[in-house]
Amino acid sequence: MKTVLAMSCLAVFVLASAFAVRADIARPKPSEQAAIKIVYAQLEIVPDSNAVSARLEIHRSDLKDLLASIEGTPNTSLASSITHGGTRTIIAGMLLFLSLSFAGVWIARASRSSSGFSRGHKAIAVVLVAIATIGTAAIITHGNAGPPPSYAWRNLPANLTSGRSTTGTIRIALMPDDPNGGGAKLIMPVVKKNARGEEE
Amino acid sequence: MQEATQFKPGAWLVNERAQSNARTFAAVLVLCTLGCALFASWLPLQVSIVTVFLFAGPHNWFELRYFLMRMPVRFGRSRNFFLTAFVGLGTLTITYVSLPLLYRAALLSEEGWLTIIAIWNTLLLSWLGLLVWQRSKQNTKSNWFWVLPVILALGAFNWLTPEFFSLILVYVHPLVALAFLDRHLRRNRPTWLRTYRSCLVMLPFVLALMIWRLSQTTSLAEDNGLFWRITQHSGAELLPFVSSHLLVSVHLYLEMLHYGVWLLALPLLGPLVMGNSTRSNPYARVWDLKTVPLARHPLGFPKAVALALGVGVVLVLMLWVGFSVNYSTTRDIYFTIAMAHVMAEAPFLLRMI
Repeated sequence: MKTVLAMSCLAVFVLASAFAVRADIARPKPSEQAAIKIVYAQLEIVPDSNAVSARLEIHRSDLKDLLASIEGTPNTSLASSITHGGTRTIIAGMLLFLSLSFAGVWIARASRSSSGFSRGHKAIAVVLVAIATIGTAAIITHGNAGPPPSYAWRNLPANLTSGRSTTGTIRIALMPDDPNGGGAKLIMPVVKKNARGEEE
Repeated sequence: MQEATQFKPGAWLVNERAQSNARTFAAVLVLCTLGCALFASWLPLQVSIVTVFLFAGPHNWFELRYFLMRMPVRFGRSRNFFLTAFVGLGTLTITYVSLPLLYRAALLSEEGWLTIIAIWNTLLLSWLGLLVWQRSKQNTKSNWFWVLPVILALGAFNWLTPEFFSLILVYVHPLVALAFLDRHLRRNRPTWLRTYRSCLVMLPFVLALMIWRLSQTTSLAEDNGLFWRITQHSGAELLPFVSSHLLVSVHLYLEMLHYGVWLLALPLLGPLVMGNSTRSNPYARVWDLKTVPLARHPLGFPKAVALALGVGVVLVLMLWVGFSVNYSTTRDIYFTIAMAHVMAEAPFLLRMI
C-alpha cells in the first residue's frame, strides 16, 4: 500500500512539474519558410507534335491539395495525419507501450518454459525484429536514402529532343503575389555536362 | 514385420497418382497466378469492372456455403466462441454500414472522422483478440499469447493512421483466402500441401515484378465516377505519389486470386481419390443440400440451411441486376456490405487452425 501511495505521489509530482516546465517554454518564432506553402505531386512532361498549345492537366487530388493549402485546411498526408492527431498519437503511444510490454512478457515466459520457443515463434520473432530494424534504419537514413528528386529528370533534355515523355516528382510552391506581376515559373533541375559527357 | 503389416497393395498407386496430380496442380497454380497478374497489369480498370460484376456475388455465396459446411450441429464447448463471433459480426457490420450515413448526417471535422474510423478499427481488433483468446482456451497445445502484442501493435498503427489501417485491410483480406486453401489442403489433400506452399513463394516475386514494372507508369485516367471510385478503393487518394495504375493492378490481382480460391480451388479440391474407389467431393456438389452436415444431421436444420442458400442465390441475382442497372452505386453498396464476409472469415479460419 505504501509503495502504491509513493508511486502515486511521484506520478502527481512529475505531471505537475511537467506543466510548470511547459509554461516556461517560449513560443517558437514563426519561420519565414512557413509562409511558402509546398504541395508534393507528380509531373509528366509530354512532348506532343500534334498539340497546338501548351496544356496543363491536373488531377483532382492535386487540385484538392492545392486548394487545401491555400485555404489552410488540413491535408490528408501521412505525416500531417500523425502530427495533427494529438489524442490519437497519445493513444497510439500507449498501445505501442503495452504491445512492447506484453511482447517482453511473452518472450520471458516462452524462454522460461520447458519447451522454449518453437520454430514458428522464432520465425515470427526474427521477422518482427527484422521489420523493426529495417524500419528504424529506414527512418534514420531517410534523408540519404534513394536518389535525389532530380534523378528522375536526368533524361529530360534528351527525352524532349526525341519526343518521349518524362515523369518525376514535383514540388508545387504557392508563392505570395508579386506586385510586379509575372506568371507561373517552372524550375527544372538540369545537370551540366562537359565535353566528355561527365557531370560537372 | 511391422512394415509388412502396414503394407497396402494400392498405396503406391495412390502415391503415384497423388504426385502426378500435385504436378498438375502446381502447373495450374502457376499459370493462374501469372495469368491473373498479366490481365491485372494490362487492363486494370476494365478487368476490375468485369471481375467484380461476374464473381463478387457468387464468391460470397460459395463462402456462405463453405462456412455452413464448417458449422457444427451443436456448438458444445464452442458456444461462447460462436456467440462472440456472431454478436461481434452483427454489431461491427451494422456500425460499419452506418458510418457513411453518419458521415453525411454529421458535420464532423477531419480529425473527428479519423477518430471514428480508428474507434471502429479498434473494435474490430478487440473482437479478433477476443476470438483468439477463446480459441486459445480450446486449443491449449499452442501458445497464443504472442497475438496480444501483435494486436496491440496493430492498434497503435491504427490510431496513428486509421485510413492506412483500413487500406491495409483492403489489401490483406484477399490473402486470407490463401490461408483457407492451406488449411483445406492440409485436411483433404495433405500430399499437395508442400507443392502449394512452394507455389506461394512465387507470390511475393510476382508482386515485386508488378510493382517494379508499374511503378513508373502514369496514373489511370479518372474520366468518370466509376474509374474514380475504383482508384479510390485501391488507395489512390491516400498514396498520391504511387501510380494509381500500380495500386489498382495489385489490388485487382489479389482480388482475382481471392475469387479463384473461393470459386474454383476450394469447391473442386475435395478429399483425394483413395485406391480404386472414388470418394465423392461434398464441396463440389453445390446443389446437393445433403452435403452440408448442418442440414444432413438428424438434429440439424435443413430448412434453415436451404433458406440461407436460397436467399443467397436471390441476392446474387439481385446483385447482377443492380450491376446492370447502375454499376457504380451497386459497387459502392456491395463493397460496404461485403465487409461482413471479410469479418466472417476470421472465426472460421481460427476454427481451422
